[in-house]
Amino acid sequence: MPDEKTGRLDEEYVVQMKGITKVYPNGVAANQGVDFNLRRGEIHALMGENGAGKSTLMKMLFGLEQPTSGEIWVNGEKLTLSSPTVAISHGIGMVHQHFMLVPSLTVAENMVLGMAPRRGLFIDHAKAVAITKEYAEKYNLHVEPEAKVMDIPVGMKQKVEILKALVRGAKILILDEPTAVLTTQETVELFKELRHLKEQGYTIVFISHKLNEIMEITDRLTIMRGGRSMGVYNTCDVTKEEISRLMVGRDVILNVQKDKAQPTDVVLRVRDVEYVNEWHKKMLDKISFDVRRGEILGIAGVEGNGQKELVDMLFGFLTPNAGTVTMQSENILGLSQQKLRDKGVALIPEDRMLYGIAGSASIEENLISDRSAEKRLNRGPLFNMKAIHDEADKLIEDYAVLCKSRKQQVGMLSGGNIQKVVVAREFSGNPLLILADQPTRGIDVGATEFIRKKLVELSRSGIAVLLISADLAEVMELSDSLIVMHGGKIAAYFEDTSTLTDDVMGEYMLGLKAQSEEEIRRVCHD
Amino acid sequence: MTKKRQILFSVIRGLLAILIALLVATLLIFLSADGGSFGAKLSATGDALKQLLVGPLFRMGRSGAAFDFKRLTDILASMIPIIFTGLSVCVMFSANQFNLGAEGGIMLGAFTTGMVAVYVPMAAFLHPVVGVLVGGLAVAAIMLLPALLKTKLDVSEMVCSLMLNYIIMYLIKYLMNTYLADKTKGQIQSYEFLETSKIAPLIDNGSKLSWGFVVAIACVVLIGLFMFNTRWGYTIRMIGINQAFAKYSGMKVATVIVLSQVLGGFLAGIGGGIEMLGRYPTFSWSSLPGYGWTGITIAILAGNNPWFVPFASFFMAYLTKGCELMATYANVPSQLIDIIQGVIFLFFAAEQFLSKYRQKLVVKTAQEELATKAALEAQKGGAEHA
Repeated sequence: MPDEKTGRLDEEYVVQMKGITKVYPNGVAANQGVDFNLRRGEIHALMGENGAGKSTLMKMLFGLEQPTSGEIWVNGEKLTLSSPTVAISHGIGMVHQHFMLVPSLTVAENMVLGMAPRRGLFIDHAKAVAITKEYAEKYNLHVEPEAKVMDIPVGMKQKVEILKALVRGAKILILDEPTAVLTTQETVELFKELRHLKEQGYTIVFISHKLNEIMEITDRLTIMRGGRSMGVYNTCDVTKEEISRLMVGRDVILNVQKDKAQPTDVVLRVRDVEYVNEWHKKMLDKISFDVRRGEILGIAGVEGNGQKELVDMLFGFLTPNAGTVTMQSENILGLSQQKLRDKGVALIPEDRMLYGIAGSASIEENLISDRSAEKRLNRGPLFNMKAIHDEADKLIEDYAVLCKSRKQQVGMLSGGNIQKVVVAREFSGNPLLILADQPTRGIDVGATEFIRKKLVELSRSGIAVLLISADLAEVMELSDSLIVMHGGKIAAYFEDTSTLTDDVMGEYMLGLKAQSEEEIRRVCHD
Repeated sequence: MTKKRQILFSVIRGLLAILIALLVATLLIFLSADGGSFGAKLSATGDALKQLLVGPLFRMGRSGAAFDFKRLTDILASMIPIIFTGLSVCVMFSANQFNLGAEGGIMLGAFTTGMVAVYVPMAAFLHPVVGVLVGGLAVAAIMLLPALLKTKLDVSEMVCSLMLNYIIMYLIKYLMNTYLADKTKGQIQSYEFLETSKIAPLIDNGSKLSWGFVVAIACVVLIGLFMFNTRWGYTIRMIGINQAFAKYSGMKVATVIVLSQVLGGFLAGIGGGIEMLGRYPTFSWSSLPGYGWTGITIAILAGNNPWFVPFASFFMAYLTKGCELMATYANVPSQLIDIIQGVIFLFFAAEQFLSKYRQKLVVKTAQEELATKAALEAQKGGAEHA
């Protein structure tokens, strides 16, 4: 159908982005001459390492960012997408990785936010519920309209997000790492729903790192690397290995090699820990486990099942209501972070931008934050600048931090390199126990591999490692033994992770199954 | 952006902010200028501007402007208190503590030192040193109040220190009026400082430029080293950038937050003491002197960097002097200085000011970097082919 205004044929492509370049105020050239197009009714994967520019490209399509140069055509019409409102009015919807929902409102209220049906001065709740039900039915996305968002599981929150976009008339859906927070079963369900949407003529952009999922659900894929497009492929024409090579420019060993653990004495001992949060929800319920020298104990589980509280407690940010925590037979509850670090506890924090770094400080300043008072870095009252420079240069080299110099602002680095700075500091402070909380979340394959190898290496040198990760592949691959947490409890303990399958894990993570107390107690090596 | 471009940008941005402030000032001078006709007003404006811009260093005569050394020393002398308050605010703001107590601090320091100078006889050299230190310690102690309230009860240090300024001022006024004033004098003032307590002038030309200036510069060096070359200054800066990070890293966050405000108080206190003993024969301040507020402007101009404080102080002192001269010789209200300060302040604090120009520089730098990278890779590729 030739467009009257432009005389163009737009039969094939609903979206065409041509020669998109984006330079951010901090000097990062996130996109350089990227071409991207979408066929009507396809599921199109957008792949690339973190920092490759996928999110930037999609933010421009959704009107959150404006390109420095380049053109965006939607349905054969050249558009200036100055805000999400404009994008939505042209049928483009986006589901963010971090949900944009109001937790204290109901599902139906969230659905109609900003476009609420009214009766007089008030919101017509009945109508909001009716609309929600109608859409849920139509698109086969089952939600509970009257439940409060804070009470529903993550999988349902995501459905609400998708429905929100559909209610607003989206025909093109951008999903930013939609499976990152889902269990295996929830992912299967999501894929079913996405196929259903596709059959009804919707176009879907699927941003993901996970190769298996891409192969399963998408029709075509665009691979990005270093801000450029590395080409568009039919999913059926490429193999996983080829994709991974295009993404990182070399063959990545996706399996970390490790020999069998030989755990020795217990370093961290947690017994009967309970914690009730400020909303009177029991977040930790009689948690007991041991972590031994020379082993990686993994904690798997859907996020929000007590992992965050557990880590906060172990690193002194939170005091439990009951229970004991000892390190080498000495109590560590209620100690300050400084005392914990003196005892040899290191933490890779889940939120690296909030806890891991001081963004506008230099790489060097970030590397010495836990050791600035050490004798070897000071000369009398003054810093020994040479010792500090040497320390920083050594760590930058050892941990392959890609930067111009140690004086560069750490916030200007890519996610993977920021995490390397955090890891370099945490691993080099002679730790006895490493708490690794989502150590490779959202970072590129190269950095991920590097950090995983280091974790294995350190554990084999006699350090106790507690690995908390929502990435199922990661915990299963790295851990020597494994705990599954569900609803603040330990649902299962596996002494050997090599025979585990995703399906079994999923059942424990979702609470469909739980081991007996005797089985779980094996994690305590009394 | 490269370091060079970043500095270039900051300088251009600063100069432009000052230029805009001067344009606003010109407009206001023109509006308030004497003279009936447009021409008369214009010439009056020209005279006033000459006083503002050149007057602080040059004496205007019939034969043109002549450099006036006395005026230079006047400016240097008036830099003394604001260098101290500038440093004080730098230290506190670096820790992300918006303590506005330098104003009351400098008054309390001046008062306490003054009382030591009046009532505690001592040997000549010792007297000013002890007096100033006592002044500094008094303010350091009083700053424990907002600092501890902040760390223990999470009370806003900004509100607390702001209110504290007035408590200090009225307390001093009360003490002066009721107990300490020399009743034989026509105004509220203390008894004369003992001769032993006075800080000697650096140059004897009646300019009030005392040895205090040397102490001020020494403090700039000390605080500069403290902030960038010691573990405590480092901790203060890290807390200022990201407090959660500092705590997670095992830094003593609460202690250092208290330390930064106590040190800030100490600096303001000795500033007040030195100003008092170097310039005045008696303590006669009956209201807040304004040096603390100027200190905030200076800290912002200096980007909280102690090394830049003397330059920012010179600029502010120069401007103040210029406005005084304008008021004296060109009949322009001296309050204009506040307006000029305000406008400069506004443009410095406005994050988005010139952000488009900055973005252009950023894009240019990024493109250059990419080009060099590509060239390097091409070279490498070429080498491999060969």
